[in-house]
Amino acid sequence: MEKITNFFKTFLLFELVKGMALTGRYFFARKITVQFPEEKTPQGFRFRGLHAQRRYASGEERCIGCKLCEAVCPALAINIETEEREDGTRRTTRYDIDLMKCIFCGFCEESCPVDAIVETRILEYHGEKRGDLYYTKPMLLAVGDKYEEQIAKDRAADAKYR
Amino acid sequence: MAKIEIDGKQVEIENGRTVIEAAHLAGIYIPHFCYHKKLSIAANCRMCLVQVEKAPKPLPACATPVTDGMKVFTASEQAVKAQKGVMEFLLINHPLDCPVCDKGGECELQDLAVGYGSSASRYQEEKRMVVPKEVGPLISTKEMSRCINCTRCVRFGQEIGGIMELGQAFRGEHAEIMSFVSNSVDSELSGNMIDLCPVGALTSKPFRFTARAWELSHRRSVSPHDSLGSNLTVQVKNNRVMRVLPAENEEINECWLSDKDRFSYEGLNSGERLTKPMIKQNGAWQEVEWQAALEYAAKGLRQIADGAGAEHIGALATPHSTLEELYLLQKLVRSVGSDNVDFRLRQSDFSADGKQAGAPWLGMPIAEINTRDRILLVGSFLRKDHPLLAHRARDAVKKGAQASIVHSADDDLLMNVANKAIVAPDAMANVLAQILKALAAEKQAVVEASVQSAEVGSAAAAIAKSLASGERVAVLLGNFAQQHPQAAQLQVLGQQIAALCGGKFGFLGEAANSVGGHLAKALPRANGMNAAAMLAAPRKAYILLNVEAELDTHNPQQALVAMKAADLVVALSAYKHQATDYADVLLPIAPFSETSGTFVNTEGRVQSFKGAIKPLGEARPGWKVLRVLGNLLNETGFEYDTSEAVRDEALSGVDVAAQLNNAVQGVALETAGAGSGSLQRVSDVPIYSADAIVRRAASLQNTRDAEAPCALMHGAELSRLGVHAGEQVKVSQGEGSAILVAAADDRLPQGVVRVAAGHAATAGLGAMFGAVTVEPITGGRA
Repeated sequence: MEKITNFFKTFLLFELVKGMALTGRYFFARKITVQFPEEKTPQGFRFRGLHAQRRYASGEERCIGCKLCEAVCPALAINIETEEREDGTRRTTRYDIDLMKCIFCGFCEESCPVDAIVETRILEYHGEKRGDLYYTKPMLLAVGDKYEEQIAKDRAADAKYR
Repeated sequence: MAKIEIDGKQVEIENGRTVIEAAHLAGIYIPHFCYHKKLSIAANCRMCLVQVEKAPKPLPACATPVTDGMKVFTASEQAVKAQKGVMEFLLINHPLDCPVCDKGGECELQDLAVGYGSSASRYQEEKRMVVPKEVGPLISTKEMSRCINCTRCVRFGQEIGGIMELGQAFRGEHAEIMSFVSNSVDSELSGNMIDLCPVGALTSKPFRFTARAWELSHRRSVSPHDSLGSNLTVQVKNNRVMRVLPAENEEINECWLSDKDRFSYEGLNSGERLTKPMIKQNGAWQEVEWQAALEYAAKGLRQIADGAGAEHIGALATPHSTLEELYLLQKLVRSVGSDNVDFRLRQSDFSADGKQAGAPWLGMPIAEINTRDRILLVGSFLRKDHPLLAHRARDAVKKGAQASIVHSADDDLLMNVANKAIVAPDAMANVLAQILKALAAEKQAVVEASVQSAEVGSAAAAIAKSLASGERVAVLLGNFAQQHPQAAQLQVLGQQIAALCGGKFGFLGEAANSVGGHLAKALPRANGMNAAAMLAAPRKAYILLNVEAELDTHNPQQALVAMKAADLVVALSAYKHQATDYADVLLPIAPFSETSGTFVNTEGRVQSFKGAIKPLGEARPGWKVLRVLGNLLNETGFEYDTSEAVRDEALSGVDVAAQLNNAVQGVALETAGAGSGSLQRVSDVPIYSADAIVRRAASLQNTRDAEAPCALMHGAELSRLGVHAGEQVKVSQGEGSAILVAAADDRLPQGVVRVAAGHAATAGLGAMFGAVTVEPITGGRA
């Protein structure tokens, strides 16, 4: 019996018709392709994109130079040097992230006790020459300053799950 | 012996020991904070609570003596509950600021909180705040709020440091650790309190916030400073020494480290480091390549050896140089044909040369100092010159030993000194002769006629009486005695005193490699010139190894004249220093952290170490530089590939133990005079001026011990001169003079002025001993 079914299926190109039917269904269905960059896919508040360093409302940088992010980073992308600032607080003199090394795992963000280093929703950035994607402390702070509103909103949304 | 059972394990331990010691013996860990094996028991942290069978409540393991048949449970329900409870109490006031705390990552409280604490605190009320206090340039107490009142630092001061500089004030919740009446902590062992602190309440000021514990690589090394040869853990990050901690060695430094060893690393990162070879051309310094600099030096040396004669070449090294460097230096100089090489730069009396049976050493293992019952110190600023040996002597005194001192200054040794004979330097030999005479009378022995003529004073008689009653006597000659113009006389007298009481006689070596220099033969043989002779009769060429002529020599005035008159001065140095005035070639060599090498400490222990980091800039290990210099001079026997090969050659066929010998023969005892009565200089080398590295350690230079030198005199001496303390005076010696502030110190004998050596402010003066004049400067109130 099976042999007969197979013979007719082969003879009548049944598999082909089945395949074309699927193609046909998608042909007429609503398209999900996003016209990047005019259009964008939706992002969650935990999206892990470009890093930023945040400040408090007073303008004081959050980072206390505890180096937990440096220690936890599996790609060894973070490089920190610290000192005692004039007011006696522990501060970084250097805070570099090599985005070429970074694997965007989010551990740095996770380990930060003061929410200083965060990953933003930004994913469209580029470098034109070697070294452009080596982000230093002023660059990271500038990202943070620019997107603070969005960052704060995302942290607030995530807070109840932490 | 008591047999006890801990967690089912049988342990046998002497009676009187505690449960925690028994547990550590059995390899069982009991959490603790206030307990420390080297300190007395306080039992105030309560972290070590354990359950003991038949005891109704948990007992502190550190303060519970073992009894036979005792059964201890360290992890039973009762014990764990007690430990958890204690941890919760400790964390009530402890701030949760681990991310900014320097102790984070190596903190005992942090580690134990993970093991014994709960995940969240039930404590909602306000935490205790302690106002930070300033205690000096080495220790930071900014975060005293973190203190858990274990009192380890207080007990360290009382029991090891000899002076209680930190104490606990107030009671209950208000209890806090502070220095008395806002004093700074000035002990030369203060850094150990930082190590002892189980939390981050006491932290190191120079290290503060510069690195975290987990990012540092640990490298073993040996201290290049005092002659103890303390074992170090050099902690390194990015090819930079970040801090230095002790490496435990029970026979040498136990678990301690003097501040000099601990904080001198700042000097390694000093801006004064020489990083490129330089030669002077037409009066201007030029940075050149190694090849050019070495060829220039070799050519110059060859010219002088061939022209004026090899005996016009002199080599001087500090005893802080490694065995390999000293060996190659003497080999280089000798292969050129000169015999002028010496490392005993601060010594002035060389009359025992050639009569010495071996290398002068401590005369006993370091650990034996603790077991002596009579100690006679001759000419030693023990506390500042050998901080950890002072601690051992202090320990001996605490156990009942009687210490006596014959010296020209009476600095507080922070121990009970039974008898003192504080006299002017030129009367020291006389005092020793008196002691010898009195001792001979006690022991019914015969002494030489020159000793018989001494008139025994009361101090000498008391010292002799004390020594005569001892069973384990040590007679120790300090740096001051070795630098003394009658050093050989002091040595013979000391030796005879020790022999009469059947005790040990020894030298407290001046620097890290004082013994090693002898083993490396870096001193002149029969027809060579010693350090003093080389400077007194200026040579045409000098090779200086680590030497700063105006600071490291016995007579800086003379040294500078000799250097300036020389045709060629080749300076091998880690630092760009005053040598720029007189040198012709500066070759950057690596300090101890950047080279492999060997130090032989004062007990004759040969300790080799590897470089912790790569040399800075173009600096190179000293042994490599000397090796290549040997090659360029076309001398054979300089084909070494490693420093180990140099060491093995230097020590091949040398039985180090047999080489250590303090005996001296053929030095005739002179009739020692009772002193001339004219004003003489007494000079110490301040603890933080002793070698090139510490002189550049910024934090140590801010301590009290590094304050600018004064002209210290007895009050009567001051009024005789018509000077008030605090006024400026002109101290003149030979052709040089220095303007110093006069200060009164009534513990000094009359007829002396104490002026420190080894300091830029006094480098214009002459020899460390000898006649000086002091005149007031009119209207010179400082």
